[in-house]
Amino acid sequence: MFYLIGLGLGDAKDITVKGLEIVKKCDRVYLEAYTSILTIGKENLEEFYGRKLLVADRELVENNADIILENADKEDIAFLVVGDPFGATTHTDLVLRLQQQKIKFQVIHNASIINAVGCCGLQLYSFGEIVSIPLWTETWQPDSFYDKILGNYKRNLHTLCLLDIKVKEPTLDSIVKKTKFYMPPKFMSVSEAADQLLQILEKKQSLSDQELTLTHSSLVVGLARIGANDQEICICSLSKMRKIDLGLPLHCLVIPGNSLHPLESEFLLQYAVDDKELQLLKH
Amino acid sequence: MVNFTVDEIRSMMDKKKNIRNMSVIAHVDHGKSTLTDSLVSKAGIIAGAKAGETRFTDTRKDEQERCITIKSTAISMFFALEEKDLIFITNPDQRDKDEKGFLINLIDSPGHVDFSSEVTAALRVTDGALVVVDCVSGVCVQTETVLRQAIAERIKPVLFMNKMDRALLELQLASEDLYQTFQRIVENVNVIIATYSDDDGPMGEVRVDPSKGSVGFGSGLHGWAFTLKQFSEMYAEKFGIDVVKLMNRLWGESFFNPKSKKWSKQKEQDNKRSFCMYVLEPIYKVFDCIMNYKKDQCEDLLKKLGIVLKPEDKDKDGKALLKVVMRTWLPAGEALLQMIAIHLPSPVTAQKYRMEMLYEGPLDDEAAIGIKNCDPNGPLMMYISKMVPTSDKGRFYAFGRVFSGKVSTGMKARIMGPNFQPGKKEDLYEKAIQRTILMMGRYVEAIEDVPSGNICGLVGVDQFLVKTGTITTFKDAHNMKVMKFSVSPVVRVAVEPKNPADLPKLVEGLKRLAKSDPMVQCIIEESGEHIIAGAGELHLEICLKDLEEDHACIPIKKSDPVVSYRETVSEESDQICLSKSPNKHNRLFMRAQPMPDGLAEDIDNGDVNPRDDFKIRARYLSEKYDYDVTEARKIWCFGPDGTGPNILVDCSKGVQYLNEIKDSMVAGFQWAAKEGVLSEENLRGVRFNIYDVTLHADAIHRGGGQIIPTTRRCLYACLLTASPRLMEPVYLCEIQCPEIAVGGIYGVLNRRRGHVFEEQQVAGTPMFVVKAYLPVNESFGFTADLRSNTGGQAFPQCVFDHWQILPGDPLESGTRPYQVVQDTRKRKGLKEGLPDLTSYLDKL
Repeated sequence: MFYLIGLGLGDAKDITVKGLEIVKKCDRVYLEAYTSILTIGKENLEEFYGRKLLVADRELVENNADIILENADKEDIAFLVVGDPFGATTHTDLVLRLQQQKIKFQVIHNASIINAVGCCGLQLYSFGEIVSIPLWTETWQPDSFYDKILGNYKRNLHTLCLLDIKVKEPTLDSIVKKTKFYMPPKFMSVSEAADQLLQILEKKQSLSDQELTLTHSSLVVGLARIGANDQEICICSLSKMRKIDLGLPLHCLVIPGNSLHPLESEFLLQYAVDDKELQLLKH
Repeated sequence: MVNFTVDEIRSMMDKKKNIRNMSVIAHVDHGKSTLTDSLVSKAGIIAGAKAGETRFTDTRKDEQERCITIKSTAISMFFALEEKDLIFITNPDQRDKDEKGFLINLIDSPGHVDFSSEVTAALRVTDGALVVVDCVSGVCVQTETVLRQAIAERIKPVLFMNKMDRALLELQLASEDLYQTFQRIVENVNVIIATYSDDDGPMGEVRVDPSKGSVGFGSGLHGWAFTLKQFSEMYAEKFGIDVVKLMNRLWGESFFNPKSKKWSKQKEQDNKRSFCMYVLEPIYKVFDCIMNYKKDQCEDLLKKLGIVLKPEDKDKDGKALLKVVMRTWLPAGEALLQMIAIHLPSPVTAQKYRMEMLYEGPLDDEAAIGIKNCDPNGPLMMYISKMVPTSDKGRFYAFGRVFSGKVSTGMKARIMGPNFQPGKKEDLYEKAIQRTILMMGRYVEAIEDVPSGNICGLVGVDQFLVKTGTITTFKDAHNMKVMKFSVSPVVRVAVEPKNPADLPKLVEGLKRLAKSDPMVQCIIEESGEHIIAGAGELHLEICLKDLEEDHACIPIKKSDPVVSYRETVSEESDQICLSKSPNKHNRLFMRAQPMPDGLAEDIDNGDVNPRDDFKIRARYLSEKYDYDVTEARKIWCFGPDGTGPNILVDCSKGVQYLNEIKDSMVAGFQWAAKEGVLSEENLRGVRFNIYDVTLHADAIHRGGGQIIPTTRRCLYACLLTASPRLMEPVYLCEIQCPEIAVGGIYGVLNRRRGHVFEEQQVAGTPMFVVKAYLPVNESFGFTADLRSNTGGQAFPQCVFDHWQILPGDPLESGTRPYQVVQDTRKRKGLKEGLPDLTSYLDKL
C-alpha cells in the first residue's frame, strides 16, 4: 500500500491522527522536500513520529520514482507532502504511475496554503487562477504570470501568488554537465515578489500605453509562515511591499481583486501597515 | 653592426605615416625566412655575407635543425629611403613630408599548413603582406590559403618570385620560358586576389603588377632581388624615357626591335620581348660568364654594370663569386625595402578601411573613431594576437598591435578576454601594464611607451588572457573581433605523465602550452583524460615536444593520435519524437532532418550566420535551399557554441508562452549539438524542427531545470530515429614530385582510402602536382610512408578540406562507424554499447 499524506502547514503536530497512525506502521517513509518546507526541520518530525524519514528530493521523485515505489505491492510506504498532496504542488504524475503499476494507494488530505489563505479575510470563493512567481535570473525573466493576475483582477478576483522556492536545484551552468552543482537554498520573499511585479509594470508601461489596471499604489497582501505560531500578514501598496520584511520563509502574496466586499475590507483593516492604507480600504 | 638604436625606433613610432607593418607569407619551403634575412642584414643586424643562411627569424633550435619555421617571429627595423625613391610615394597618408626614414615591423610566419594559425595571428597585426612564391614550384595550395586569408583581413599583398637561381642554374630555362613562368604566377596570384576582393572595394586596387613595381624577382638564398623599377632606372637615361613609363614597357606584350629601334605591341620577326632583352639577358650573361668561368668577359661585364668587388672577394669563383656579384649589383634588401615602403600601406591608410573588420562595437564610438584615425591621443585599443614565451619559464609576452591611443609601462588598463561582453564583468581585469617591450627577433628591448599603429609586446598581461584579447582604457569599449582560423584542430592525442605524481605539473604545462600556440586546444574530458587537439601530425608533434621539454618538463605518455568525428543524420526522423519533462507536465514534439548539401559549409564560412538579419537570411535559405520562408524566419539558434552548423527551427503554431522556454530549449540544443547521442561528438548538418509544445500552466514548473534536459532528450530521440551517421574529416593533399614517383603516390593513397582528383605537370618543369582527398584518420605516418615509397622524392601538404560521411550504419554492430563509436565511447569513459532510444523517447 502506498500512502500520500499531507502534513499541513505549521509544525510536526499538524499531521492528522490518521496520517500519524499510518506513518508509525509504514516500512518506509519518504519526506518530499522540494515543493514546500515546514518551519521546523526533519529532525523534529523524526522525533515526533518516533521513526526515521527518508528525504525525497526533486531528482528522486521526478527521475527515479521507481526507487520510491519499490516493493509497494508488498510493503507499506508513506510519502509525506507539506500541505496537501494535491495542493499547490500536484503529485498527480506519481498517482498515475501507481495506477499503471496497479499499486493500491490512499490519500490523506490536510490543510494547504490554497485554503489557509482565507485567514487574511479574502473569501476563497473570490479567488481566481493561482500563479507562481519564479525567481528571475539575469537571462530568464518570464512574466506570463502577470497576465493571469491582471485577468483575475479585471474579473474582480483575488490572485494567490505562490513564491518560488529553490531547494537543491542545479545551477543553470551545471544542468548541461555530468557533475551537478547545486544552488544554495533560496526562498522568495514578498518584497522580492513585489519588486519583480513592479519591474513588469514598468516594462509594460513603456511598451504601450494600454490601460493599466494594476499600479504602484494597488493594495497587496503579504503573508508569511501561515499555519505556524508566528504567522504574519500585512496589507499595503505594491511599492511599499517592496520594502517590507516579513522574516523567515515561506511567504506568499495576494493581489486582491479590484473591489472588495465590505466584510473583506473590514477584515483586512487589522493588517494595514499605516493610515494611508486604512483610508484606501474604507472607501 | 646594427645601424639604428632603440631611441631612433621610438621616435619613428610617432611618425605613423612612415610605418609599415607587414608579414611574410608563403607556401612551405618557398623561402620566406631566407628572404627575410636580406632585410635583416640590410638593417645591419646580421652580416651581409651570412644573409640567406642564418634564417635570423627562426629563433628556436628545432626551427634551425629542421629548416622549417614553426612560430612567427617579429622584428622591428629602421631604414631610410633615397630621395629619388621617395617621389614614388604619392599618397599623403603614406609619408611624412620631411621624413626619409621608415620603420618596418616585419613578422616572418611559418609556411607549413599545420602552423597556419600563426599566419592568421600575424596577419591580424599587420597591414601588408609580402607573398613569396617559389618560381619553380609556382602557386601552391598554402600560397592560396594564406593569400585568401590576407585579403579577407584586408591586408594588401605584394608578390616576390623567389629562387630564380634554381630556375637558371638547375632548370636552365630559356628567357622566354622564364618570362612565361613569371607571367603565369602573376596571373594565378591575381586570380586568387580577384576571387576574394573587388577593385572598387574599400582597399582599392589590390592586384599585383610587375610594371608598377609591386612584384619582385630574385633569390633570397643568394641575396639578390630586383623589381622593374631598378632596371627601368638603369635604362631611363639611355632611352630618355621617364622611369615610370619605361617600367610599363618592360613587362607584358612589349617588344623592341634593336635594328629599327622601334617598340611594338606584337612579336615580329626581328624584335624581342623587352623584359627578356633588358632584364633577363644581363642576368643570364652574368650567370653564364661566372658559372662557365669566362674570366675575361666577366671583368668587362662587371665594369659595364658598374660593380666594384671588394679585394677579398676578387679571388672567388663559381657560385661564391656569382653570389657576391649579384648581391652587389642587385642587393635584395634594397629592392624589398622599396617594394614595402612604396606599395604597402601605412597604418594611417590601412586602419581607415580595416576598422570595421576589426571592431565589434558600434562603428561611431570613441574606440572605433580612434582606430579609424590611428589616433595616438584616442583611447587605447590594442589587440593581443598571440603569446610569446619569455626566457622566464611559464611567463609570456603578450604580443599585439596598438590600433589607437598609446600603451605605456605602468599604465592601468582594462584587459578583456574573448568572452568579455560590454557592461559585464566576465573575462575582464583592470590591471597595470608592467612593461612595454619591442620585439627584435631573438631579443627584446624595453621601451617607455608605444603609440598607435605599432606592434609591441607587453609584460604581465599573460596571466589574465588565455591566448588573445583586447586591451583598452575606454570603459565602454567592445572587444576587437576574434580571429577566424583557416584550419581546425581535428587531430587529438591524450597525454598523461609517466609518473602519476607529476599530474599537477602536466596540468600546469598544458595551461602554458595552450597559451603559447594560437590554435592548440588543451581539454580535460569529463573522464579526466587530458586531450591536446591540433591541426595535424606535425603540429601535434611540436606541441608534445614543447610540452615535454619546456612547459611541463616531465616525461609524458601519449596515446595514438585520433581524429574528432562529427555526428549527423541521413534521413528525416521516422516519427515525431515526444519527450516529457521530469515533472511530466511539459511535452516537446520534434523531428530531425539532414541539412541540404552545402548549407553546413555556408554556415562554416559565415555566409549564413546568427548575426544576419532574419528576413534576409530567410530569403537566402528559401532561394538557395528551398526552405519554407516562414519557417526559415524562425531559426531560433545555431549550435554548438551559438555559431555551429546545426539549427533549431520553430515550426509550431500558436503555442502560448513558447518564448518563455526559448532560452531553455536553446541551452538544451547547444548541449545536444556539442555532445551528440552516439559518442558525444559535435553534431554537423542537422536541422531540428519543433512541431508542438505542451506546457505546465505555471511558469515555475517550466524553468530551465525542467526544459533543458528534456530538450536534449528529445533531440537525442530525433537523432536516433533519423538514421544517424558519422562524419570524418578529410584533408586536401597536394603532393609535388618528379614523374617517376607518381606511381608510388597512387599506391600509398590507395592503401589509405585516399583518392586522386587532379594530376598535373607544373608547366616548364619536370615536376608533377598530384591533388587528392585523404581521410585525416589515415594520414598518420603518411608523410613518412610517402617518402619511403617514392625514394624521398614526394612532399605532401595536407590541409583540412571538408567533412565526409563515413559509410555504414553506426547502430549496426560490425560496421566501421559502429567500431568508431564504440572506441570513442570507451575513450571518453561512456557506457559501452549503443544509446537506448527508450531512455529518450516517451510515450503519450
